[in-house]
Amino acid sequence: MSGLFGSLSIALSSLSVSQQEMATTSNNVANANTTGYSREVPDVAAGAPIVEGAITLGTGVVLQKIESLRDPILEIQLNQETQQQSKFSTELTQLQQIQTQFASSTSGIGADISNFFNSLQQLSPDPSNLELRQSVLTAAGNLATDFNTTANNLHTERSNLDLNVVQSVNQVNTLTAQIANVNQQISNLQNAHLNTGSLVDTQTNLIRQLSGLMDIQVIPTDQGISLATANGTTLVSGSQSYALTAQVGSDGMQHVMAGTQDITGALTGGSLAGLIQIRDQEIPSLGSSLDQLAAGLATNLNTANAAGFDLSGVAGGDIFAPPPVGGVGAAAALTVNITDPSLIAASSDGTSGSNGNLAVLSAVATQPLANGQTPIDSYSSIVFQVGNTTSSASADVDSSSLILQKLQDQRGSISGVSLDEEASNLIRYQTAYQAAARVVSTIDALLSDAVNLGLGAAVQ
Amino acid sequence: MRVNPNPMPDLLAALNQTELEAQQAQLQISTGKSVNEPSDNPTAAAQLVENNDQATFSNGYLQSLSAVQGQFSTADSTLSSVTSALQQALSLGVEAGGGTLSAGDLAAIANQLQGIQGQLVSLANTSYQGHYIFAGTITNRAPFVANNAVPSGVNYVGNTGVNEVSVGSGYKIAVNVPGSQLFSAPGNDVFLAINNLIQAVQTNTGIPAAVNAVSAASSYLSAQRVFYGSAMEQATSQTTYLNAAKLQLSQQQNTLGGVDMAAAANNLAQAQTDTQAALAAIGKSSQNSLFDYLT
Repeated sequence: MSGLFGSLSIALSSLSVSQQEMATTSNNVANANTTGYSREVPDVAAGAPIVEGAITLGTGVVLQKIESLRDPILEIQLNQETQQQSKFSTELTQLQQIQTQFASSTSGIGADISNFFNSLQQLSPDPSNLELRQSVLTAAGNLATDFNTTANNLHTERSNLDLNVVQSVNQVNTLTAQIANVNQQISNLQNAHLNTGSLVDTQTNLIRQLSGLMDIQVIPTDQGISLATANGTTLVSGSQSYALTAQVGSDGMQHVMAGTQDITGALTGGSLAGLIQIRDQEIPSLGSSLDQLAAGLATNLNTANAAGFDLSGVAGGDIFAPPPVGGVGAAAALTVNITDPSLIAASSDGTSGSNGNLAVLSAVATQPLANGQTPIDSYSSIVFQVGNTTSSASADVDSSSLILQKLQDQRGSISGVSLDEEASNLIRYQTAYQAAARVVSTIDALLSDAVNLGLGAAVQ
Repeated sequence: MRVNPNPMPDLLAALNQTELEAQQAQLQISTGKSVNEPSDNPTAAAQLVENNDQATFSNGYLQSLSAVQGQFSTADSTLSSVTSALQQALSLGVEAGGGTLSAGDLAAIANQLQGIQGQLVSLANTSYQGHYIFAGTITNRAPFVANNAVPSGVNYVGNTGVNEVSVGSGYKIAVNVPGSQLFSAPGNDVFLAINNLIQAVQTNTGIPAAVNAVSAASSYLSAQRVFYGSAMEQATSQTTYLNAAKLQLSQQQNTLGGVDMAAAANNLAQAQTDTQAALAAIGKSSQNSLFDYLT
C-alpha cells in the first residue's frame, strides 16, 4: 500500500515503536539498582516490504522483541564462584570462632601443661611440702578444666553447625520451590511468545542464592531449566521441585538426604559444604588431637605416679581418672582423681623426703605420646593446625572474592544499566518520535489539501 | 569495551579492605602483639607455645635453684661450725696429751669434750625449713640419736638417699649428702673419734692416737664439705645461665609475636590514608550522568 495513507501508517509504526523503546529505557532506568536485573534492549527491524510492479516499498518499523542482555556462560561461572566463595567464607567464620580458644600462648591448655610440669619441678627441692604438693593438684585441676572447656566448646560449636545444616536444607527447599514456580511462569510466557526477561532475571537471582547454599548444575531444557545436585540428583525439573531432607545419621549428626540418597559427603560448594566440612572434618580432627593429648598425659602421669610412693610411703595411685579406652572423649572427661596432696607419689623409696619419683613424673613432659610428639609439642602442633587451616581459609576467601568481584564486573559490563547510555538512547527515541509526529502532521496537512482539491474553501 | 556502569561494589570492597588493614594495625598497636590469633602466623603461634613452655621452665629452674641454694648455704655453714668444733676438740686433746695435767684438769677437759660432742650431735641434726638436711631422705626426724650402747655413742637413723633436683633441661644436681657419709663414715667416724677421745682423756691412755683419729675425721669432713661449696658454685653459674636464657627467650618471644611499633604505626597511617582516598572516590563517583544535561 502506497500513497499518503501508506506513509501515515509508516509514521504510526514509528510512533508506536519509539514509545515502546522509550518504555524500555524507562524500565532500564527504573531498575538501574535492581539486583540481578539485566538491561533490556529493543530489537527493531524494518517492516516487510511490499512490491508494486518494479518498486519495492518499505512498510515502516517493527519491534520484534525486547531482549535482556546476559551472558549464560558468565552466569554459570558466577554460580560456580559463588559456591566456592560461600563455602570458604562459611569455613572461615567458623574457624575464626574455633581458633580463639587456641589464641593465647600464656593461658589455656598449652600454658596449663607447662605450669603443671613446673609445679612438679617446684616440689622437687622440698618434696614433702604440702603447700607445694597442693600447687601440683591445683595445676592438674586447671589442666583438666581447660581440656574440658575446650572440648565442650568444640562440641557446642559442632551442635550449632548441625542446626545450621537443617536451616540451610530448609532454605534450599524454599529456593528450589520458588525456582520451579518461576520455571512454570516462564514456560507459560514462552508458549504465548512473550518477553520472559524479567522472570529469567528473577530465576537467575534465585539460582545465585541457591549457589550460596550448595553446588548445583543448571541444565537448560524445553521447560525452562532443570537443577541437579553435583552428583546428579534432580532438585528442580520443569514446574516440579524435589525437597531435600535432613536426617540424623549413625554419627548423631544431620545428614542431607535427596530422597533415600545421602548426599552429605557429595556436597562440594556453598555454605552447606562449608558447614559440613567444619562439622565433620575440622572439629572432629581437632577434638581427636585433644583427646589423644589428654589421654596420653593422663595415662603416662598415672603410670609415673604408680611407680613411686606417696607421703605415707604407700604406692601411688591414679592422679587423673583413667581416660576412656581408645581415648575418645578423653579431653571432655579429664578429671583429677585425688584431692589429698599427700597422695602425689614424689618418693622413689617410700621415705617422705625422697623426690626420686618426681623425676619420673617430670619425664612425662619429654616422653613421646602415641603421635610421637611430647605433650607440649602435640599442643603446639594443634595450634599450628588451627592457625594454618584458618589462615588458608582466609586466603581462599580473599582469592575467591576477588574472582567473584571480577566476574560481577564482567556481568555488569554486559548486563548493567548505564544511565549515560539510557540518556543517549532517550534522546534518540525522543527525536525519532518527534520526527514521526512531524511526518504525521505533514501528511495530515497533505490529506487535507487532497480532500479539498477543487474547492475554494478549506475543509474545516 | 563497555565498562561496568556500577563501580560501587568494587569501591566498597576496596574500602572494606583498607578498613580491615587499619583495624589490624590498631589491634597490633593496642595489644603490642603481631600474633593475636593463630591464623595471624601459624608457625609463630606454635613456636610461642614452645617459647612459653621454655620460659615457664626457666623461671621454674631459677626458683628451684634459689630453694636449694638456701639449703646448701645452711649445710655449708653447719659443716663449717662442725669443723671449728672439731678444731677445738683437737686443741683440747693436744693439751690433754701433753702429760703435765692433773687428774682434775683432765676431767675438766673430758667435760668440755662432752660438751663439744653434744654440740656436734646438735649440728648434725640441723634442719632447714623443717627438714633435717643430713638425714638422707628421711628428713622428718633427727638423724642422729644418742645411744651409749654403741662405741660412737650415737646412732644414725637416717638413710643414704640422695635427692636430685633439675636445674636445667637435662641438668640435675644432687642436693644433699647423707649424714652417714659425712659423720659416720667407716674409718672417719666423727662421733666415734670424739667418743674415743673423751674416753682416752678420762682414762688418760692413748690420747695421741685418739687425737690423730679426730684429726683424720676432721680432714675427711672438710673434704666432704667441698660438695656444698661446689654445689653453690654450680647453682650460681646456672642461675647466671638461666637468666641469660630467659632474656633470650623473651627476645625470641618478641621476635615471634611482638610488634614493630614504627611499622605498625606506619601501616595504620597508610591504611587511614587509603580509607580516606577510598571514601573520597566513593563520594565523587557517579554523581553525574548524561541525564543531568538533558533540557
